Amino acid sequence: MKIRTMLLLLFICTFNTGLEADSPEDDPVSLIINTTNRIFTEVDQNLNQYEANPEALESLVRTDLLPLLDVHYSARLILGRAGRGIEDEKIDAFADAMIELLVNRYATGLLLFRSQGQLIVLPQRGELNEKLTRVRTRVKLPSGGEAPIDYAFHKTAEGWKAFDVIVEGISYVSTYRNQIMPDVQANGIDSVVARLTAGELEVAE
Amino acid sequence: MLMTACAGTQSRHTDPENDPWEGFNRKVYSFNDGMDKVVRPVAVAYGKIMPDPFQRGVGNFFRNLDAPVTIVNQVLQAKFKQGGVSAGRFLVNSTIGLLGFFDVATKMGIPFYNEDLGQTLATWGYDHSRYLMLPFFGPSTFRDGVSRYADSFYHPVGAAIHGYNRWGLLIIRGIDLRARFLAQDAELEQAYDPYVLMRDVWMQNRQYQIYDGDPPLADYDLYLED
Repeated sequence: MKIRTMLLLLFICTFNTGLEADSPEDDPVSLIINTTNRIFTEVDQNLNQYEANPEALESLVRTDLLPLLDVHYSARLILGRAGRGIEDEKIDAFADAMIELLVNRYATGLLLFRSQGQLIVLPQRGELNEKLTRVRTRVKLPSGGEAPIDYAFHKTAEGWKAFDVIVEGISYVSTYRNQIMPDVQANGIDSVVARLTAGELEVAE
Repeated sequence: MLMTACAGTQSRHTDPENDPWEGFNRKVYSFNDGMDKVVRPVAVAYGKIMPDPFQRGVGNFFRNLDAPVTIVNQVLQAKFKQGGVSAGRFLVNSTIGLLGFFDVATKMGIPFYNEDLGQTLATWGYDHSRYLMLPFFGPSTFRDGVSRYADSFYHPVGAAIHGYNRWGLLIIRGIDLRARFLAQDAELEQAYDPYVLMRDVWMQNRQYQIYDGDPPLADYDLYLED
């Protein structure tokens, strides 16, 4: 109900401000609403199946969530100066390891919180900034509480993409950056990629 | 040059601006980590033995007891309307909610706020304070550590200690809190530098509280350059 009202409001707002180039369903807020609802509905309808088969869930997340993300930009933000002078292929390998980690966490979280399809998007303040637009959401938890999840978006050649996720004020990019930058500087990027891949396997158990 | 300076993770200055006492803090962190060898098994046992609804009730009970501190600090921050809401919530949960074990207020749609003296001082302009690892209590800042002590005089759990030397509630609260963070243990263990991870997560979440859920975003442009 709430989401439907939000969508309606959103439609009216976008219609009135007349966002030139974007079709309404491509703006950050709609991207978040559509993607999240699609994943939530799918998981809720086939919960038993996904619980029994985490790989299927991960592949669902990969196909539905990844197009929304600018993972390579996130990787550059995380690496910072530690990423300078490192070949593109290695940055790509790093970004891929981060993707696996992210997909894995997101899938685990989906099963853990069983979001029940309740997503609230807080009203957008100000105009869309192509360099940085924040979408603020609340996900209703089964316990009755809410998890505040924000997304940082920017506009790329392929449209709006999210590059950071902020849960209760804790930024994915900032937090990983402070772990990974010194690790890369001390041990080199290859060892970090190996570590991330190993960590991913551990979490998946 | 900087690269060699940052090599290795122990007792280095990983964040001189926010954590100038890092050497000391890391020692307290190790101390707490040692204590955790005893506390963690108790928390694990608590989590296993006590049924979920009971654990939720205990969590609700303690959250409800934070209300006086929240209300006083809402008034200090001139958030009178929110203060009224928190007072109403406290009243409802303490009575209908049977001493706070049942969070009836949330079911009634009454919002939950969280304030303390540290947040009040931050909104009054004392917004930068050095990170301080407290023994037993964990991550804090100098400002928040001192504030926490001041708050304890009008917090029911603190009052039980100051007034009657009763430590039972605090110990149960500690076990309850520790049990809540068990799920994060693996994350911390696998971290490159668990000390830094705990500091980062705590500091960011604290900013989030200070700004009532709406803190400024990170300076991403700087991230690319730096």
